[in-house]
Amino acid sequence: MAEKGGKLLPKGTKSSLTSSHSSLGSSKRKENCPTKSKKGRKVQFDSSIGSTKSADKTESMFDKVNLGKGGKEDKTGNAAKKTPVKDPQPLELKIEQELPECAKCMMDAEALHILQGIQDQMVILSEDPSIKIPISFDRGLQYAKSTGNHYTDYQSVRSILEKLKKDGVNEGELCVIANACPETADEVFALVPSLKAKRSKLIEPLKGVLSELVKLKQSS
Amino acid sequence: MFFHITLERNMQLHPRHFGRNLRENLIAKLMKDVEGTCSGRHGFVVAITGIENVGKGLIRDGTGFVTFPVKYRCVVFRPFKGQILEAVVTMVNKMGFFAEAGPVQIFVSNHLIPDDMEFQSGDMPNYTTSDGSVKIQKDSEVRLKLIGTRVDATEIFCIGTIKDDFLGVINDPTTA
Repeated sequence: MAEKGGKLLPKGTKSSLTSSHSSLGSSKRKENCPTKSKKGRKVQFDSSIGSTKSADKTESMFDKVNLGKGGKEDKTGNAAKKTPVKDPQPLELKIEQELPECAKCMMDAEALHILQGIQDQMVILSEDPSIKIPISFDRGLQYAKSTGNHYTDYQSVRSILEKLKKDGVNEGELCVIANACPETADEVFALVPSLKAKRSKLIEPLKGVLSELVKLKQSS
Repeated sequence: MFFHITLERNMQLHPRHFGRNLRENLIAKLMKDVEGTCSGRHGFVVAITGIENVGKGLIRDGTGFVTFPVKYRCVVFRPFKGQILEAVVTMVNKMGFFAEAGPVQIFVSNHLIPDDMEFQSGDMPNYTTSDGSVKIQKDSEVRLKLIGTRVDATEIFCIGTIKDDFLGVINDPTTA
């Protein structure tokens, strides 16, 4: 399987040849994973492989038929032959890619404020026996109470953290910093690895922001 | 992590609900159908905060039902890979421990617990460091990082780790 994958993706291969090979390859992969559907497991390929147009065409055909197992085998086959093994990247938060643009990330404290307002209204609604308050609401509110009470005033926290936006920190990363309530800049970089790349740029503004946040922390 | 998001749904309403209270009936049905559900894309719908728009109703052929497209804003809770969150331990066994963060269940395998922590069985099973200074047991609060998520029809299940820097026990219930 891996060998076939290796043979199918050399650079400069003619598209007609690769298309016939890939159709053979696709039928074999179907045999291996008969229960899975054709649609939609996207497979990420190394950028070094798809440099020519014909290779790109093969890639797109692979995207349609490739399933988890087959895709991985191709990757290892190619990696063994062409690209050096990369160090595993630290797991980074990638919110923007997965949620629609209209989604607004909220700090736990902001969510707590909204859910408490809804709970007050629900007290009136709960008199009606046909209306059931969902379990996830209770659990969500309980969680927000336990994590959202670190600071006295969430609006001030938001305005302080907004200053980091101009240094390239995105909404999701700001919320992680607010929820985690870090004490040092090192802690922020450990908890949000995506900020490590901008460490030199961010370290001073981050220290300033953290010192301001300390003043807002609630005494437990 | 909590998000405030606008979603759209086609609501079907029986003719018996038509009349003066059509809008209220529609909103009540929306809340009944949507609150408490979960999906892979949006996570748990914790609460609806408001209705943005109710579109024109379309009568379905053959039945008297009418379909209304409703746009609404809601608070959702969705866990992400790479996210740091605080969870409360619910169960400890030799394979690892289970924790809860809001409506989400998280499992931390013993392979993702620091090597210096060992499982101690007994009335109150726990993971303890060799010097006894740090203990993870039921009701402990731990900070963990999510490394994987799985979505079922009704719940989201995650795998977490405490083997990185600045992760682990926040609050020991015995000392609190």
